[in-house]
Amino acid sequence: MSAAASSRSGARFWTWLSVLVLAVLCLVWIYPFLWLVSASFKDPLEIFSKGLSLVPNALRWDNYVRAWATAGFSTYMLNTVLVTVGTVLLVIFHTSLTGYVLGRYNFIGRKLVIGVLVATFIIPAGFAIIPIVDLTKTLGLLNNRWGIILALAGSGHAASILLYAGFFSQLPKELEEAAVVDGAGFFTIFGRIMLPLAGPVTATVAVLTFLAAWNSFLIPLVLTFGAPGQRTLAVGMLAFVGTNETDWPGMAAAATLSLVPVIVFFFFVQRFFVEGVAGAIKA
Amino acid sequence: MSTRQTGGINRRDALVGLGTLAAAMATASGRSAFAQDAKTIKWWDHFQPIAPLFEKAWANYGAVHPGVTVEHTVMNPADMMQALQLAFRSEQAPDVMSIPAPLATLNQLAGSSWFAPAGSGLHLDKPFQKDVLFEGLTNFGGKVYSFPLFSFRQHSTSLWSLKDKIDTDGNAIKGWDQIRQVAKAATKNGTYGLLLPIQFTDRMRVHVDDLSQMIGGAGPIDWKTGQYNYAADEYVETLQQLLSFQQDGTLHPASSSLDARQGRTRWAAGEAAMFTDGPWNSGVIANSFAQVLPNIAVSGNPVLTDSGHVHSSPQAGTFWISAQSKNPDIASELLNLFTTDEFYIKLAERMDQPPLNLDAVAQANVHQTYKDVVAGYKDSVRLAPEPVIRNADVGKVYGEMKPVSPSLGEIVQGAFAGAFADPKPVLKQLADQMTAERDRAIKAVNDAGGKVSVDDWKFDAWNPAEDFTPDKY
Amino acid sequence: MSLSHSAIRPSIRRRLWADRWIYLFLLPTVVLVASYTIWPMFASIWFSLLDWNGFERAGRFIAFGNYAEIFADRLFWNAFANTVIFVVVAVPIRVGLALLLAVVLNAGLPFSRSFRTAIFLPVVTTAAILGVVMRFVLDPASGPVNEVLLQLHLITQPINFLGRAGLSLYTAIGVWVWKWLGITLIYWMAALQTIPADLYDAARIDGAGRWQRFRYITVPLLTPFTIIITLITVVEATNVFDLMLTLTNGGPFFSSEVIDIFVYRQAFAANIPRLGYASAAALLFGVCVMAVIAAQIVVVARLRRRVAEQ
Repeated sequence: MSAAASSRSGARFWTWLSVLVLAVLCLVWIYPFLWLVSASFKDPLEIFSKGLSLVPNALRWDNYVRAWATAGFSTYMLNTVLVTVGTVLLVIFHTSLTGYVLGRYNFIGRKLVIGVLVATFIIPAGFAIIPIVDLTKTLGLLNNRWGIILALAGSGHAASILLYAGFFSQLPKELEEAAVVDGAGFFTIFGRIMLPLAGPVTATVAVLTFLAAWNSFLIPLVLTFGAPGQRTLAVGMLAFVGTNETDWPGMAAAATLSLVPVIVFFFFVQRFFVEGVAGAIKA
Repeated sequence: MSTRQTGGINRRDALVGLGTLAAAMATASGRSAFAQDAKTIKWWDHFQPIAPLFEKAWANYGAVHPGVTVEHTVMNPADMMQALQLAFRSEQAPDVMSIPAPLATLNQLAGSSWFAPAGSGLHLDKPFQKDVLFEGLTNFGGKVYSFPLFSFRQHSTSLWSLKDKIDTDGNAIKGWDQIRQVAKAATKNGTYGLLLPIQFTDRMRVHVDDLSQMIGGAGPIDWKTGQYNYAADEYVETLQQLLSFQQDGTLHPASSSLDARQGRTRWAAGEAAMFTDGPWNSGVIANSFAQVLPNIAVSGNPVLTDSGHVHSSPQAGTFWISAQSKNPDIASELLNLFTTDEFYIKLAERMDQPPLNLDAVAQANVHQTYKDVVAGYKDSVRLAPEPVIRNADVGKVYGEMKPVSPSLGEIVQGAFAGAFADPKPVLKQLADQMTAERDRAIKAVNDAGGKVSVDDWKFDAWNPAEDFTPDKY
Repeated sequence: MSLSHSAIRPSIRRRLWADRWIYLFLLPTVVLVASYTIWPMFASIWFSLLDWNGFERAGRFIAFGNYAEIFADRLFWNAFANTVIFVVVAVPIRVGLALLLAVVLNAGLPFSRSFRTAIFLPVVTTAAILGVVMRFVLDPASGPVNEVLLQLHLITQPINFLGRAGLSLYTAIGVWVWKWLGITLIYWMAALQTIPADLYDAARIDGAGRWQRFRYITVPLLTPFTIIITLITVVEATNVFDLMLTLTNGGPFFSSEVIDIFVYRQAFAANIPRLGYASAAALLFGVCVMAVIAAQIVVVARLRRRVAEQ
């Protein structure tokens, strides 16, 4: 009895110690965000005044007005949202199609396609940027959001295809046979039956692509050198740092503006995110 | 088709909304359907402080020539060459551009046919305008392509101070010993003595070049011998003097991760008492931190000795018309707007680099520190020879020479970061590498039919205390 | 010979035609991957054989001149070494710390969802922006990190995290682990959920302690996940361009210059860009990474076979 009680109280001690340690760790983890938000409301010279207080002297909303309107972050935000959404849709479109035929059909060249996909998975991404610029130029899509979307959707999605292929290969053959009896064509089967069933995979792919596209930097950077109006948030931030060094609170406000939507979005679809990422690793 | 596909996800509504956004994107990407016969000149430069002056001049031009507008983009000098490189590759080059890069790059660009001649709209009649036109700098193949907007008689290393942070007259600080003392006295209450923009390696290179010449050094190349001079005592001493602020604890600790703009802001915010910068510092302070302007003082030539002179090469052209331009005639006339007497005075009033016509500064309404700095250049700055003027094939050598790493600026950064203890062998290595690279480039140019020798860098008539005027070549 | 050929050919043609919709489905991926992944790779191989300054329309063929120069370029090997250090130091920390956290959080701790959310926060935020933010936070003169350390009297002089040659790479590693720990945590939590709970219950009844349960149940069952997670993390650790560019830009004095930054500097940021040289450096490093990963896969396959034989 007493041994059991002491072991239980020992366990409780460990539990609360862990909670305490974790709480401190999490504070460290989110401190930069708190500091950033606080700095975004400060006066230009207040930022340099020492002290750890996160509460600004007064809320300077004009920092946000400046970042949003003058520095063009409203445009950057729109660009980023459009590029990310476009990339996610295009990636789901092409990877599900390919995953479907790879997972369910045997055809001439299947092994070749799989081999090449696996090879691209291993090749380090992002090195061959100059030919991508040339290609985008040839397509007339330089300084254009479509150019960014195509480039982002065109590399590094072998994992998504293999996820789809793995999922589709597990589905029973009867599904199609029944549909064919009902007179459904190839496209109908895919669009009406197969893709809806693959919802969880689609969610996973959407999440992974979202993360990659929202965070992407090099491709939007080099494809928009000549067109400030087409920059994404990440690139715009670098440009803002480059040309407005004097405006630190404006910079903090711009950074906060860039981070808030994705954090809010993350809170709403958190379960989706976590399960999607987890789904990828399990598969 | 696409809605049916995405219908697979439970959140159909959300995705339909996203689809609408995608449609919005399609329409937003194509907006340029107006102003068919109007002529738009795309103009890229990196002169933020002067932009209002340029734009006013173009507006006046546009009033006389209806339909001509200038689309002005002020770029960050750090990305500008990357942007130009991609713009040229994609045939979207601006009609007029500035080139924030060394002479070597300029010669490569000219060799790659980036530029068009300035054309008949540009009239450079006054003697001081004609005197600064040189093959390889402003002219190629005998034709005028460009002209310098600014005077060669300038350097980038004046010592700016905040009056309320130092206990002496900031205008009279002279010599390393005094600077160190002032810095020590000023380091207290969260203020540091000196801030250097160490992250900006190009600026640190220029600072070390300037400072080593103020104490009597010959500069990067000793024009008497034509040899690279980085291993000279003046370079070593300058670097050690700069490092001494770090050893004294008077150097602002963030210096190594700050460039000139960031550094200027934090100096102006009172984090450091002194800051090294060129004449434009007063202009930026006047525009961005007007409340600080009454508090600044400047020592124009902070460590100048009797035997010291800063040697400034003839200036390369500032603005270049693109070979891809569809309206070179208009571009040519726009360039001509920047050659008038009134323009030079207005240019001085922006307090950036001093105008080609230095006399304009006296007539301009400028802050006293700017006047002092520019006046100080008369004592310190001398015109250096430029090998490319003597032999145009030297330009090909510049074009052939590959950058040597670590460069001088990177060495300065490395010294402050503690990457090596003794700078002397590293500086020696730089001189050797530069010499070897120049020899290799000379050989490559000669193999390709050029005619250059190391002696093209050697000027027997050079007197460090005098201007190397065109008649001495 | 020719008989058999003509016999096969129509049947292949017929099969191809019958499967035409399959190829139609493949078309978008094939076009995209061919143009944005495969063609750029072959183009890079060609570029790496050119002396090309980027201002010219085309380069001059110099065969393996760039490679010869790279082998003698100390800064390339410096960047190479920095990347290796980055991988060797950062990957175990990220993978190990995340596993530790996952095990703790998986034990059904109070607030574990909130903890998970907090740690995941940097993952969803843009690396390029975080780089800028962390420059503020780590600033030696007015940054909060130094302020805390000074007030706790752990240090007497502010530490220049990003400005000291011996420190900047490790600071960058710390920031990188901070940014990406959350996603590795999620991976591990998913992996842990594949272990049936009754295994632990049985062990507890047998009197196995916390550590023994971890050592004899968790670790062996997680081995396949460990391999995958490590592999993913290694690939990510060789691809840290955006964070490094905004955090240190490779400095000071190349002390945090990883391969991506070296390549970028050669291709775009130098006064005279060298596209051929940059391509050669990228390819050479790419080949090394592929060799390491291939070796990893071979070793893993061997281990698996040995485990299977046992």
